[in-house]
Amino acid sequence: MSGQETHDLEARDPDSVVDNSVTAGDLLVILRHAPHGSSWLREGLDTALVAAAFGQRVTLLFAGEGVLALLTGQTAGPLGQKGTHGVIDMLAMYDIDTLMVDGRALKSRGLCTDDLMLPVTLVEADGVVSLLQSHRLVLNF
Amino acid sequence: MASSEIYRYLSIENREIGLDPEGFLVDMGDWSPAVAEALAAEEGRILTEDHWEVIEVLRDFYSRYEMAPAMRPLVKSVGLALGAEKGKSLHLMRLFPDSPAKVGARLAGLPKPANCL
Amino acid sequence: MILHLLNRSPVTSRVIDDALAAMGPDDRMLLIEDGVSGGLPAQALFFKNLAGRLFALREDLVSRGLLERCGEHVTIIDVEGFVDLTEEANKTVSWY
Repeated sequence: MSGQETHDLEARDPDSVVDNSVTAGDLLVILRHAPHGSSWLREGLDTALVAAAFGQRVTLLFAGEGVLALLTGQTAGPLGQKGTHGVIDMLAMYDIDTLMVDGRALKSRGLCTDDLMLPVTLVEADGVVSLLQSHRLVLNF
Repeated sequence: MASSEIYRYLSIENREIGLDPEGFLVDMGDWSPAVAEALAAEEGRILTEDHWEVIEVLRDFYSRYEMAPAMRPLVKSVGLALGAEKGKSLHLMRLFPDSPAKVGARLAGLPKPANCL
Repeated sequence: MILHLLNRSPVTSRVIDDALAAMGPDDRMLLIEDGVSGGLPAQALFFKNLAGRLFALREDLVSRGLLERCGEHVTIIDVEGFVDLTEEANKTVSWY
């Protein structure tokens, strides 16, 4: 595992216009809030989906409480409120395949990648710094 | 997203189906193949086998992700379900001209796709 | 250089940990809104690695009575200075 960005250009929709001139990705969306407690997580995910729908290459970084968004076994809220796990499951359909997780955030919560619903890339130490530097635009949620 | 207000009704098989101002079903539970045909007829379309299989993909997408797909994920899921030949925007544009994600979602009885501007 | 905006107090919010961890060696941090309480000398320890790279917004310090109470670890700038910092940065990231 490393903090390096992976990009899977082959998997992208061949008949869409994608600008590959940026090395790591166009947009980095940082998700720092847990599911259900606020709308921050959903708004961050929605932003990522809109950008991806317009052909932008999006990287997601789950940091802080945001790592909880990836946990297996999530359900709707007690009053039937939609969770965000469905959206996370759907990311691949939007060609958002680069899911980075702050290893420190995971560890400090006593969690590991086996607890997560999708394969991710762990980012350690300065990996976060290079992620911020290598994206044209960074949005923090 | 479909609005919850009924703007007009579509009469079919002695039932009145509530539609929102953009012609999307107000109650997704009202959907049936006959409703899809009636919605298509409003647009002067006749549904062929090619349409039905995409409608099926749309309904599967919604039941899995609780969201109607925008164009990009629609192309991708059609490609995955029906093969690369059909997973092309050109094919979908031919079937559902103007805006395949929006037109397709309407006929499939889904809400309007949120990321479809 | 990335300009990081922090609008939470380092005492009550742990967002500062995430912000600091995301900062490169040339990045700068600007304290705004509730973040300006980080300008108090007692809070200097939080920012010990940011010598010369930590700023606080004058307007937010004034309204909280903190202007005269700021420590040496922070450079006070006004809105024009904020604009200059933004122009010098290649992007801006908000932490809240």
